[in-house]
Amino acid sequence: MKSLNLKPGLVPGVVTILVSLIIWQVASLFFIPVFLPGPVYLIDLIVEVYSDPASYSVIWQTLTRIFNGLVLCMLIGTSIGILMGIRKNFESFMDSWIMVLLTFPAICWAFLSVLWFGLSEWAPMLTVILIVFPFVSMNIWEGTKALEKELVDMATVYRSDKWSMLRKVLIPQLMPYIFSAMRIALSLSWKIVLVGEAFGVSSGVGQKLIYWFEETRVDMMLTWGLSFMVLMVVIELLVFRLWERHTFAWRHQIAN
Amino acid sequence: MPTDKNNGHGNTVVDVKNLTKKFPDPMTGEEFVVLDAISLSVEKGKFASIVGPSGCGKSTLLNIIAGIETHDPSDGGTLDVYSDSEVAEPRVGYVFQNARLLNWLTVEDNMIFALESQGISKDLWRERVDKYLEMVGLEGQQKNYPLNLSGGMQQRVAIARALAIEPDILLMDEPFSHLDEITARKMRFDLMEILMRANPTILFITHDLGEAVFLADNIYMMSTKPARIFKQIEVDVPRPRKPEDPKIFDLEKELVREFFSVLDAQELEDG
Repeated sequence: MKSLNLKPGLVPGVVTILVSLIIWQVASLFFIPVFLPGPVYLIDLIVEVYSDPASYSVIWQTLTRIFNGLVLCMLIGTSIGILMGIRKNFESFMDSWIMVLLTFPAICWAFLSVLWFGLSEWAPMLTVILIVFPFVSMNIWEGTKALEKELVDMATVYRSDKWSMLRKVLIPQLMPYIFSAMRIALSLSWKIVLVGEAFGVSSGVGQKLIYWFEETRVDMMLTWGLSFMVLMVVIELLVFRLWERHTFAWRHQIAN
Repeated sequence: MPTDKNNGHGNTVVDVKNLTKKFPDPMTGEEFVVLDAISLSVEKGKFASIVGPSGCGKSTLLNIIAGIETHDPSDGGTLDVYSDSEVAEPRVGYVFQNARLLNWLTVEDNMIFALESQGISKDLWRERVDKYLEMVGLEGQQKNYPLNLSGGMQQRVAIARALAIEPDILLMDEPFSHLDEITARKMRFDLMEILMRANPTILFITHDLGEAVFLADNIYMMSTKPARIFKQIEVDVPRPRKPEDPKIFDLEKELVREFFSVLDAQELEDG
C-alpha cells in the first residue's frame, strides 16, 4: 500500500496556508489582540490555557457528550436506516419523517431541548440525536439499496437465522455507508454539542466560548475554538482512518 | 420449503411431480408459464443433471427446490425433498454460478457460517472444515480471505461449504460456467473424484451436454419457453470416466443431435 506519497496538490496547499497565516499576522498588527489576535499571539495563549490542568477536564466533559451523542445517534440512525431498507411499510412510514427532521432548523432543536430537558445532560444529547440521526438513516438507507440479494439468497438456503444474517451478511455490506455516516455524524455532532453547552448545560468547551464571548475576548474564543477543532481533526484522522483500515483489511490483502 | 418426512419414499431424495410455475409479465400483468409440468426425481447417492438452453428456467426450478423461490400449489404439481433423518429438515447445499462467498470472512468462517446456520454441533466444525477443504484441494487455506483466491478457487470454497453441511441434496447451478475452459475442465475431474469419495446426492444444471454426460448418472433434457422435459436418459458408464471414452463421446453426439431436432421443431412451431 502506498501511504505516504506526496500528492501533487500538497505543495500549493501548504503555500496557501502559509500565505493566509502571514496575511492574518499582518492584519492583526492593526488591532488590539482581544479583537483580532495574530497567530503568534494565539500560540502563546494556547500554551497558557493548556498548561492549566483544569482545561483538560473541560475538554473531557465535552468529548464525553460528543461520544455519547455519536454512539446513540449511530445506533438509532443505523437501526432505522436498515429497517427502512428491509421493510417496505416502515420505509414509507419513515421517509417523510426523515425529510421533516432534515429540514427542521437545527437551532430550534437546541432551544427546544433546553426547554424540555432543562439544564440536564440530556439536552445537548437530545439535540445531537435529533439533528444527526436523520443524516445517518439517510446514508444507511441508501446503502441498503446496494445490498446484494444473491448473498441473502445464499444465506437463506443455508437457513441462516436473522441475527447472523444481520451480523455477517447485511452489516458488512453496509460498512462503507456506516463509516461515511459516522464521519458526517462526528463533524455535525461536535459543533452541535458546543452550541448545546453554550445555551444549555453551561459547562464544557461551549460554556468557555460563551463566557469569553460575553467578556468580548476574541483571543480566548479562538484559543478554545481552534484548539478543539484541531483535536477533532486528529480524532477523525487517527481513530477513524485506522478503524476503517482495520475493518476493510479483507479488501487489501493482496497475496500470491 | 415443502418438506414431507414420510418414510415411504424409498431411496428418493427429491421428488418433483408435474411442477408448473407461472410468472406475471411485468408489462402486461398476464401470467406466462416458465416451468411446464416438470417431473423428475433424484435418488440417494446419484448425480442427476438437467440440460437445457440458457434462460429456459432451469435456475428457477433449482431455486424452488432450494426454497428461495416460491411455488404456488394452485399452479399445479408437487415438490418433496426428503431427509435422511426422521427429525431434521432436509439439508440443502447450493453451489451457484458465482461463488457467493462472504468476502469479509475467512475461508474457514465462510464454511462455519453454513455449518452454524444448519445447527451443526460446534464440535464437528473443525473436522468438517478441514475434511472438505482438503477434498476440494484447498488444504491450508482456512485463514485466507476469498479475495486472495482465484475465481476457480473461490468456487472450490463454495463447493466445500456446500459439502461441509453433508447435504441431503446438493444443488449445483452451472457452477463452472463462469470459469475459463481449462479451469472448468480441471474442476469437472475433481468433482468426479469427490463423487467417488463422498458420494453426495446431486442435482446439477448445465447448458453443456458434454459436461452432463461426463458427470451425471442420469440426464433430463429440457426445452425452452416454456421449460419441458422432453427426454430422460441414463449414462451407464462407471466412474472414473474419461471425456475421450468413446461411449461418452458417442452419447454426447447423439444427445446434441436430438437437442437440435427438438429445438428446430420448436422454432418451426413458433413460426
